[in-house]
Amino acid sequence: MKRKSIPCLLLAAAVTVGTLTGCSANADSASTGASSTGASSAASSAATSDSAIQPCEVTFWHAMTGQQETTLTELTDQFNSENEYGITVTLVNQGSYDDLSTKLTANAAADTLPDLSQAYNSWLIPYLDKVVHLDDFVANDYDNYEDIMESYREETSQFGFINAMPFNKSTYVYFYNKTMFDELGLEAPQTWDDLLTIGKTFLEKKNMVSLGFDDMAGMLEATLRQNGCDYVSEEGALFDTDAGQQAIDFIMEMYNNGYARLVGEDGYFSGPFSNQLIPAYIGSSTGVSYITHDGWELGVAPLPGNTEKAANTAGTNIVMFSKDANQQKAAWEYLKFLTSTDATVKWAMDTGYLPVRTSAYESETYQNFMQSDATATASYAQADAFFSSPAFDGSYDIQNAVNSKLEELILNKADGATAMKELVDAVNGAL
Amino acid sequence: MKSRKPSSVAARIAQYAVLCLGAIFTLLPFLWMISSSLKTPAEIVKIPPVMVPAVAQWSNYATAWAAAPFGRYLINTVIVTILTTVGVLITSVLSAFAFSRLKFPGKDLVFSLFMATLMIPGEMLIITNFMTITKLKWIDTYQAMVVPWISNVFYIYLLTQFFLQVPDALYLAAKVDKCSDLKFMVRIMVPMNKSAITTIAILNIIGSWNSFLWPLLVTNSQEMRVLSTGLIRFQTEAGTSYELVMAASCILVMPIVLIFLFLRKYVLEGVAFNGVKG
Repeated sequence: MKRKSIPCLLLAAAVTVGTLTGCSANADSASTGASSTGASSAASSAATSDSAIQPCEVTFWHAMTGQQETTLTELTDQFNSENEYGITVTLVNQGSYDDLSTKLTANAAADTLPDLSQAYNSWLIPYLDKVVHLDDFVANDYDNYEDIMESYREETSQFGFINAMPFNKSTYVYFYNKTMFDELGLEAPQTWDDLLTIGKTFLEKKNMVSLGFDDMAGMLEATLRQNGCDYVSEEGALFDTDAGQQAIDFIMEMYNNGYARLVGEDGYFSGPFSNQLIPAYIGSSTGVSYITHDGWELGVAPLPGNTEKAANTAGTNIVMFSKDANQQKAAWEYLKFLTSTDATVKWAMDTGYLPVRTSAYESETYQNFMQSDATATASYAQADAFFSSPAFDGSYDIQNAVNSKLEELILNKADGATAMKELVDAVNGAL
Repeated sequence: MKSRKPSSVAARIAQYAVLCLGAIFTLLPFLWMISSSLKTPAEIVKIPPVMVPAVAQWSNYATAWAAAPFGRYLINTVIVTILTTVGVLITSVLSAFAFSRLKFPGKDLVFSLFMATLMIPGEMLIITNFMTITKLKWIDTYQAMVVPWISNVFYIYLLTQFFLQVPDALYLAAKVDKCSDLKFMVRIMVPMNKSAITTIAILNIIGSWNSFLWPLLVTNSQEMRVLSTGLIRFQTEAGTSYELVMAASCILVMPIVLIFLFLRKYVLEGVAFNGVKG
């Protein structure tokens, strides 16, 4: 027995040593993190100094594929050949959003982040000290920042400084089968009551479930906001109010009456919607490329509201991590180019994402484009109602907790009061 | 004789029926992949599912092939797979031999330490390993994809158990004949455990061929990427183009199928050898 216990002890010791090494590695990255805070304050000096930019290479990590990547490459080639400073931007595809996020986390720890990367705000929280503050660049060297859509400006300054420039933005819209709606004499919904009427009509006349949501947590947040109620903050759930109760009652009514259903294994409603198995769903505007409508007409409408209008926005922004002043200035030139009216119009028309500037929406080219593109029109129609989910330590856990809790409540056909209590517990428990 | 024939025919029929059923179950995912790779996006999501596409969309293959430099990815995958497999076999055989035959101070302790590393989840080591690779300036190189994977404690453990089953008498007899340890290992241990070593090689080839996260983490340029990273080119935040994923998968599976057809004899031999020995 004694002989056996020695290896066991050593085994435990080995594990401890391993853990300690891990800890010291973290401490290491924390200290380099501190030094890069110095680099971000260097951003201000880089922005204000007038010295010309030296030729250099700027690396941009992204998660764009297919047509999106083609257009991004075209725009980047244009920038590389046209810029007067000899800046070369190198695009690096890093897989999906999840892969890109993992890769950024690893490189933040090793202090080898790229000059630029696509990122959601929620990813940045562990290494926010490595993000270059763009305030001085915007103040000294940017053409009409007020022209950027207000909700995007709010989103990219939620940490108290400008942490990114908006890039591939989308919004949730209401896709519907116009042929079926016409047949039943229905119009696209404007309000929650319309959704209930549509649900009732489809159930009675065609025995069909009439609505689905690709993103459950996003649905809850939008519905709360449509009733003038806040969702969550770092302190926990904010929706335990009368307005919140109304919103949750409405959601449970939709599901319990069979007016709405959960998504299947494929994770998106574009499949069943294309097959006319569901007459309408709410999902990302970029999902339109996955909808095939053979023999029926596709309709796209802004999200319905109740006391207010509210529409989720999705899609990433571009964050700068460069430490060197010259690199920062070069990267900024590229960001200026990508968010310019012409570039954002081209980007939006080719990819189905939305322009980031008001002047882009108002440009003749995009106005003409909207006349033939129902998704773009519907997205623009709700531009005043855009909101983005707040990102903070734990916001991702809340999203996961809410997604599974909502699913459970719907499967159990819970009543509104139970749903409220359990959702509040789920949110607060995730923090 | 005559009276027994009908029953043996019936037995034969039953045998083949079972085998056919098994074959269908095994082949179905494969056939489904091929059929899906020839569908239109509408047919992919069709409910009830379409078994055979109305018009075969051969263009899916061209589109999938053009989406990424798969030729280059293939070469990289082959290089990485061969190097890691050779590395794993060398380290596993050597250490399994040491743990099973040699006598040296602290043998049990070292073995326990090796075992201890099995209890650390791989995900925990990713960041630490990544930082090591970065400090060595190995990002975007083959060694970054190969070196961390050329030893595998589980395989060492597995092979040690196999080596322990070889009777001591053989070792001692070899010693009497003045056979060195290395010679004994190469001449006797390895051939006697051919099936176990083949199994390890196959497991490692599959693992290496399919590995995704680590190669993606340590490479940045298209020239260094591997096949698995090519498959995610058909996914976006709003959905996945399954027909293209399936077309690309068919292309990726081809080399493995060809290798099997050529080496079928050897692979089956390994399995048969195992059966006889068992």
